[in-house]
Amino acid sequence: MEPLKLIVTGPVGAGKSTLIRTLSETEVVDTDALASEAIGKATTTVALDHGTLRLDGHLLHIFGTPGQDRFDFMWEILAEGALGVLLLVRADRPETLPAARNILDFVVSRTQVPHVVGVTHLDRPQVWRPEEVALFLGTPPERAVGFDPRDREEAVKPLVRLLELMGA
Amino acid sequence: MSKQEQLEAILSELKGALPELKEIIVASPDGLPVVQLGEGGIAARLAAMAATAHGLGKRIATTTHLGDLVEIVIRGNQAYFIAYAIGEKGILGLTTPAGSNLGLVRLEAQEYARKLAETL
Repeated sequence: MEPLKLIVTGPVGAGKSTLIRTLSETEVVDTDALASEAIGKATTTVALDHGTLRLDGHLLHIFGTPGQDRFDFMWEILAEGALGVLLLVRADRPETLPAARNILDFVVSRTQVPHVVGVTHLDRPQVWRPEEVALFLGTPPERAVGFDPRDREEAVKPLVRLLELMGA
Repeated sequence: MSKQEQLEAILSELKGALPELKEIIVASPDGLPVVQLGEGGIAARLAAMAATAHGLGKRIATTTHLGDLVEIVIRGNQAYFIAYAIGEKGILGLTTPAGSNLGLVRLEAQEYARKLAETL
């Protein structure tokens, strides 16, 4: 079975590493380092996350990127050969949406592959709905999926949508 | 002397000991430049890359049972990039030309990483 390479990207704190830890059926490679900025958590990804899972008869290799734009060289490296892009955005942090759009432009312009927008943290007060996030990003609303990356049943939802778009 | 000035003084001392060094940076563990010495205008980039190389190096060392990561060496045909952890507090990254005495560079860099750990 030919493995499919997908990347999970998005601004810092969106849930990229959490998603990969939730989904991976093999030991996750992560590269957390102590955060020196106030980002609402103790550590942050500095190189990549990697995990694998089987979904709908496909073997998926999922690569997570760092979120901060100083690591944009890793976005480029990890996007190489990717067949689909999952962009994660926090529903309760609309101020990170311009950064999300920047990442989406950067990655999609290089890969020319389908993307899905995963909207996380919808259980917080004062959130943007997935369709509002899609509107801001200029993405068709059916490509925006609200979900909780901590829950396995939920976490496969945006990937299922992405596989549909990829025609896989 | 402020902490920043102390760190700059340590980097100047390192440059004095090894004048062939081109770029010297101290990065936070998550890739922000803390202090730098060099002319390339690439300190911010190098700080992020030092954190990435170090973070990935640690994982490679664990996965392949190398023990604790000691150093990162990237060798080009014209120069080396070398990085050491400054305790848990940061990363010392430097570039040095291909003809450098790498043994000496390593010894000095590790010594200065220890000095930086006391100040950082």
